[in-house]
Amino acid sequence: MFIAPFAVLFALVFIIPIGFAAYLSLFQDKLIGGQVFVGLSNYIQLFGDAKFWNGVIRVMVFTAIQVPVMLIVAMSLAMALDSKRLHGTKFMRISVFLPYAVPAIVSTLMWGFMMGTKYGLIGNLNEAVGTSIDPFRPDTTMISIGIMITWAFTGYNMLIFYSALKAVPHELYEAAAIDGATEFQVVKMIKLPALRGSLVVTIIFSIIGTFQMFNEPQILSSMVSNSGITTYYTPNLYAYNLAFTGSQQGYAAALALVMAAITIAIAYVVQIRGMKDALE
Amino acid sequence: MNGRMRVAAASLLALSLTLTACSGTSGQASTDDVKLTVWSWDGTVEAAVEGFQEEHPNITVDVVNAGSSYDEYKALDNAIQAGSGVPDIVMFEYFSIPYFAIPGKLTDLSEQAAGFKDDYVPAAWNNVSIDGGVYALPSDYGPAAMFYNQATFEKAGVTEAPTTWDEFYEAAKKIHALGDEYYITNDSADIFMLLSLIWQAGGRPFDVDGTNVSIDFEGAETTQAVEYWQKLLDEGLINTEIAGWSDEWNRALNDGTLATQITGGWLTSTLPERAPDAAGDFRVAPLPQWEEGPQVGAENGGSAMGIPEASQNKEAAFLFLEYFTHGDGVQTRVDEGAFVPNTKILESDEFRNQTNEYFGDQTYNAVLAQASENVATGWQYPPFFEWARTAYGDISADYYSTGNGSLAEILDEWKTQMTDYGNEQGFTVK
Repeated sequence: MFIAPFAVLFALVFIIPIGFAAYLSLFQDKLIGGQVFVGLSNYIQLFGDAKFWNGVIRVMVFTAIQVPVMLIVAMSLAMALDSKRLHGTKFMRISVFLPYAVPAIVSTLMWGFMMGTKYGLIGNLNEAVGTSIDPFRPDTTMISIGIMITWAFTGYNMLIFYSALKAVPHELYEAAAIDGATEFQVVKMIKLPALRGSLVVTIIFSIIGTFQMFNEPQILSSMVSNSGITTYYTPNLYAYNLAFTGSQQGYAAALALVMAAITIAIAYVVQIRGMKDALE
Repeated sequence: MNGRMRVAAASLLALSLTLTACSGTSGQASTDDVKLTVWSWDGTVEAAVEGFQEEHPNITVDVVNAGSSYDEYKALDNAIQAGSGVPDIVMFEYFSIPYFAIPGKLTDLSEQAAGFKDDYVPAAWNNVSIDGGVYALPSDYGPAAMFYNQATFEKAGVTEAPTTWDEFYEAAKKIHALGDEYYITNDSADIFMLLSLIWQAGGRPFDVDGTNVSIDFEGAETTQAVEYWQKLLDEGLINTEIAGWSDEWNRALNDGTLATQITGGWLTSTLPERAPDAAGDFRVAPLPQWEEGPQVGAENGGSAMGIPEASQNKEAAFLFLEYFTHGDGVQTRVDEGAFVPNTKILESDEFRNQTNEYFGDQTYNAVLAQASENVATGWQYPPFFEWARTAYGDISADYYSTGNGSLAEILDEWKTQMTDYGNEQGFTVK
């Protein structure tokens, strides 16, 4: 009885939408003939769809590289802030966090202009040094997007780490100082273990975030030419284009559900591993 | 009934009588007030509404900008699917009409619009006529033309605008010789430009008969156009780095390093803003020809307005549609800068003799009016073209960024994907 309010809300905001997507994924919308029940054939088609797997592999490779880089930077910044050896930590904290408050659309436009080879900063650099760096070629676009996303989310992750470090009881540091521990030992024995819980959280958030990548490729595709961004560049972009340009809503729903399952599975593995390590 | 109410009722009656009197002249018998919703991205619609409401005070016209064309089609599809919020009049690009007309989402206007045919240039009428029905009325037009920067041409030693594609090729070489950043034009997977070349050469790659669609890029005329463009791309005479409408494009047009644009006549309305420093340098010329002889033109863009089958006010909607695309509204829109396919405008001296300082006082409308009348007919778009053009972007991305492959291979793959998609969508494609 006491869980009734929760159960109602859970059904309303969670079960029903997912159930509806699952229902939609069993149909095909035809321009001629309207909606037809097709059973599981959307799923079967999806597993053989090279465009879908192209996007999935792209975001997986991206996640495997970008997430560790971003989290290491965020962790280092958090420790630097926590070390109390810096001046102006408040200003630094705010300024590192600030990019998170900039809407992705604005930041993509900004980076897009900055990295432009003809008239942007990179263009000036190329001219001055004589290089020919182009951040938006098919083989460099993903790196550029990685820079944008790292810029945007490092501050957010840093704050999570920073608050975990703040929660470490001061006595621990005093005890370490009495025992004559070096700064390196303090980091290894006190700070890193304290960050473990928040590391699991940030990894899961980052994986979900990058798997859902949409804004950056969507905007860049109309901003720069020949960047290699296709309509199936990321699974989310593909779902969007299937639903809206191809009016293949059923197929898009199947794709969304499969992506959700993959994301949940990976997040679950990370959590189990993280928990196990934390318990050891 | 007390006194005050009686007065109110009397004035209401009087009002409705005046309304009847006004609308009576146009054949609208209804005394009810009608509210029409128009979806359009065309800025000249508002201008025409005023004049229309003077003639039809009982019809209020509410103009909604439902976003870019692409967003508008999505919104229309959603409204039709939901069965509510369907507008009474909608603007379409020509290529998107079959998408809505063939599945029966648009009203056939062939009875009301009987006899309108000769009032538009033939190719525009061809665009709205599908399977013997008329599903929209042409509202603006994009005859393909060549906009060229005379100053850059002169610098390169090209004294006269190329009139054939062979001359265009020679000019391309001379212009690129001016410097690495100089190109005769740009192309980063612009499907409409490639199609307009094929169109002009006489290729008709799409054939639509009801739900039967055939696609063929192997015809001799199509191949001629594709091979020609391939040659220019292969020889590095076309800038493939600059996307149309981008900031870089504006700058290159502005500083004269992009010497021409092969595009629709509508460029006249935006070029002066995009390339203000090139004022006085640009001129408009007909498309270069494939062969000497009579001029053949092609189309690049343009739009029409139709009435969704689900509209609740079809009669009133047609009154506005007629006013807007055929009646007195046309002149109002032309004064606002619209380029229309109506022959009475295109043939009028007032229109043809108009000059513009930006184009060096050239009577550019005369060129564009002639180009409109020269547009070859018989072209058809497949009913899933909106989808197909994004697929083309994906397929051609690799070629335009790395140079691997060729236009012929792109078109081949495009055909395969269109065939799969079309068959999946319930058409018979081969």
